[in-house]
Parts: sequence; C-alpha cells; structure tokens
Amino acid sequence: MAIVIERHRHIIDYTLSSLLRRKGKNGALLLVYTMIVFILASVLFFTHALKREAALVLKDAPEIIVQHTLTGRYQTIPVAWGDRIGKINGVIAVRPRLWGYHYDTLLLANYTLMVPAENPPEPGSIDLGSGISRTHGANSGDMIAFVGHDGVPRMFTIRNILDSESQLLTSDLILLSEKDYRDFSGIAPDQATDLTLRVRNPREYATIAEKITRMYPDTRPIMRSEIQRTYDAVFGWRSGLMIVIFSAAALAFVIFAWDKATGLSAEERKEIGILKAIGWETSDILLMKFWEGTAISLTAFLLGIIFAYAHVFFTSSALFAPVLKGWSTLYPTFRLTPFIEFGQVATLFFLTGVPYTITTIVPSWRAATIDPDSVMR
Amino acid sequence: MISARDISKVFNAGRPNEFTALHGLSLDVQMHETTILKGPSGSGKTTLLGLIGCMARPSTGRIFLNEREITSLPERFLTEIRRSTFGFIFQQFNLIKGISALENVMFPAYPTGEKFSTLRKRALETLEMFDLGKRAEARIEWLSGGEAQRVAIARALINKPMIIIADEPTAHLDTKLSHEFMGIMSDLKARGTTIILASHDPIVYDSDLADRVVEMRDGHVVDGGTGP
Repeated sequence: MAIVIERHRHIIDYTLSSLLRRKGKNGALLLVYTMIVFILASVLFFTHALKREAALVLKDAPEIIVQHTLTGRYQTIPVAWGDRIGKINGVIAVRPRLWGYHYDTLLLANYTLMVPAENPPEPGSIDLGSGISRTHGANSGDMIAFVGHDGVPRMFTIRNILDSESQLLTSDLILLSEKDYRDFSGIAPDQATDLTLRVRNPREYATIAEKITRMYPDTRPIMRSEIQRTYDAVFGWRSGLMIVIFSAAALAFVIFAWDKATGLSAEERKEIGILKAIGWETSDILLMKFWEGTAISLTAFLLGIIFAYAHVFFTSSALFAPVLKGWSTLYPTFRLTPFIEFGQVATLFFLTGVPYTITTIVPSWRAATIDPDSVMR
Repeated sequence: MISARDISKVFNAGRPNEFTALHGLSLDVQMHETTILKGPSGSGKTTLLGLIGCMARPSTGRIFLNEREITSLPERFLTEIRRSTFGFIFQQFNLIKGISALENVMFPAYPTGEKFSTLRKRALETLEMFDLGKRAEARIEWLSGGEAQRVAIARALINKPMIIIADEPTAHLDTKLSHEFMGIMSDLKARGTTIILASHDPIVYDSDLADRVVEMRDGHVVDGGTGP
C-alpha cells in the first residue's frame, strides 16, 4: 500500500513539475477552462437562485388570483364580486387585495405598494423595504415623502424596515394602510386591485377557475401552479435562454477539448518516449496524464465556481443581469440569497471535468503505446 | 548471458517504405564484459541495442536474457525488465529540460514507489560519484555538454542495472570528454557491470575497455558475433 501511495506521489510530483515547465500553454488552458466553468456556473447559480426566490415568493401566495380585465387589459375589480365568488363550493376565503407600483422620479426606481392582510401600519405610517431604505438612507422613525397620483406629496412615518429571507420579496416593498393606499393611488372605495382565493383541494382549482370565468366572463383567474410553471419555463434548464447560453459554452468547451485531444506536441511525445524508454509503463504515463488533467480541471473548476459565486451573489450577476432579467429590471437592486445545490455542482463537474480529463488521456494513450525505441532514432 | 538467435527486424512491414534493419542475426553477449558494436551508420547497431534492451520486439527470432526467453513476454514484463536490468545512455542524452539534474536522475525510479527520501539520497550519491553534487539542483539546460553526459550516466545507474546500454555515447563529445566517458565506463566495468556500446568512434572501439568488438554492416554481423 505504501508503495502504491509513494508511486502516486512521485507521479503527481512529476506531473506538477511538468505542468510548471509549460507555464504559458497550461496557463492559457487554465484561463479558457476557468472562463467556461465560470459562465456555466454563473448561469446555473443565477437561475437557480432566481427560481428559489420565486419559490419563496410563491410559498405563501394564494392558490388562485382573480383579475378583472377590460378588452384584455387589466383593471381594478369590484370588491362586491368577491361575495359571489366566495359562495362557490370549495372556496374557503376570498380577500380583495390592494397593491400597485409607484415610480420614484427622483431615484428612477420602481416600488411596490401593498396593503398587508395582517398587521397593517396605522394611517400615516409605513413599513419600508430594505432596498428603498438603503437608497433613501431612511430608517425607522424617520419621515419620508412620496408623490401620490394627484401630484401632491404625502408624508409618512417609517414604522419598520422590512427584512426577509428573500430580498426579491421585500427589497422594493412599501406596506401601508388601506386608507393611505386609496388616498395615494386614487382607487375607489368599492374597487380592489385583485381578489385572492383560498382553496383547500388542489384538484378543484381548475373547476373553480372555470366557474369564476363563467360567472364573470371578463375576469382572468390565475393559478399558483401557472406562475410556478412560468418561472420554470423562463429559468429552467430547458428554457430557450438557457439552451442558447449552454450551447455556446458547450461548443467552446468541445473546441477546447478537441484542441487538447489532437494537440500533443512533438516535445510532449518525445518526453513520453523517454519516460517509456527508461522504464515507465504505459499505465504510469496514463496515470501522469490523468493527474495532469485532474490538476487542471479541478483548479479551473474550483476557480470558475468561486468566481461565479462571487459574481452572482456579491455583484448581483453584473455581467448577466441585464440579459437574464430582461424586461423586469428591478429597482432598487436586490441581492440574491446565496444558494448552491450540490447536484448542480456535481452535474457541472461531470459535464466539464470528466470529459476534459478523458481528452488529455486519449492522445497520451496513443503516444504511450508506441515502442520506446523511437527515442533512440 | 544475452543471446540473440536469428533475429530480424522489419520496419513498416507491408508498406512501400518497408525496410529491413537486421537480417537473421545471431549474437552472444557475456555478462560482466564490455561488448562494443562497431559499424557505419545504418548497419543496424541502434536497432540491435533496442531489441536487446527490450525496447522493441524482433520481427523474427528470439532473445534470451540469462536463458529466459524475453521476446514473447507481454509489454508490462518487458518494461519491468527494462527498468530493473538495463540502464540506457542515449546519443542525444534525452534528458528532460526544465527540471533539475537531480529530478532527471530520480524519475526512472518513480514507478517503483521507492520512498522519496531514500531515492533522493541515492540520486545525490550517484551525482556525487560523477562530481555533480553541486549541480544537482541546476536545470538541465544550464549544464555543459560534459555535465549533461554525466547526468545521463547517473540516470542510467539509478535503478542499479546489471547492464548498461549506450548508443553512440561519444557522438556529441569532444576528444577530452570522450576519454572521460570511457574512464567512467572502465570504473563501472570494474564494479562488475555489463556494458554494451554501439559506436563508430575509434576512441570507443579501439579502447582497452572492449572485451569483444562485434562488427556490423547492412544488418549483418560480419565479425565477432557468437562465441569467444
């Protein structure tokens, strides 16, 4: 056993010194490889983190949301409709919601205003999302003003700063009382933004949605599962965007690996010949190449993963965000909650590290099986 | 004793560039002696050394090492014999650039799994033997021709081989260094090492070191093949 370990140690020793001898070539390989892992890992981390944020958002979301539409466009819904809808079998509760967006022309930021179901602030006071608090430099107890629908500013006292597991949920959020909201937005007292339904049996969702549409043809019931599906379609592995980015990175990797597979230099061939001539077995050469591939792929993999982690979770995906977030650029900026799934990292390693190691062994195997007497001529 | 019986070696068999380097050649090499293969370029010396040193297999014929037939052994066993029995000194030295003289001397023993500290100590002692102790950490490309030659000899000796095989060892050396090389070979011979040299340099084949000179031409032994 000691001999086997010592043999591996010697060969790893030789491999490392051999890698250092070709600093330029191996440095370039490492750079390209790290970049590919960085791109793939960034995409993976970013989309998974977004999906997770979405899951957190949806965790407490109502089973069905009913919106009112007019010629296909969204508008406020009469609160009274909730009474009829609440009588449908299977519906436990109906609640009219009041929420909307507010554009802050000073900071060029978009905020979400909402009247919470539980523990709403007293009229004249608000709870503020951590992102808005940061950008305004406002804290609990401070006064803050926002311009309402009529152009007149309203002063509010900050009751709390909101913090939550998901920044996506609360970063841009302002919670206020119903009275303040109606005054601020100009929504009539008999109107609400939408209606939310609690339904006990998930198998009844579709039936209830159908009954609502029949009852009020100009409504649009949205099920939670549909929202979840939309997130999956946009950020899932099989979504178009992911396939495009993955294909580009995979193609780069194939070209890179192919270059490696065919690119054993004359000097490397000669070196393998010398090693064989002086008593290294084919298996020793393959072991050396295996360690070489492992050293490069592991280093590149770890570097790529670390850079990707920093990129996604510390810089909020500065490079990808404009592309991946698309139309829904959120203001103020929010930070994704760091989250890595072991499965993703393992998948990424098997997609990059393993093929690379194999591609370094194949050409060496061809060279290692030649007669060692070639170095004598 | 090493015995080669009716060996032929054909390169690129069946192709338009087919070439026969050795034609049914027989040769006996006595242990603890120095045998010198002499002949012009293309006479088959290097090919014969390669076959004796288990680097390649003959196309026909058999080779025996101490009465053990080695021609039909699988590759793994040939490598093991090559590592433990032979030490090679190549015409071009074939040292690996970019690493130190010490590492060059050590790496033939890497696959044996010998303890690093023991191996390092032995490699340093071998280099000391050739007055290269102070140059142990120097990179190969920083060494002079004579020093590189001595590192190549030290490398050939690291696995304590019974037989040293050297192919045109003086081809890239001046007269002084050539004599120095022959002096080292004399020392090794005195310690009981079997030496097989291939050369067309008179300094080698006319030296007192030679117990036997085998003359080759066009893939045949023309003089001194078998028997004393």
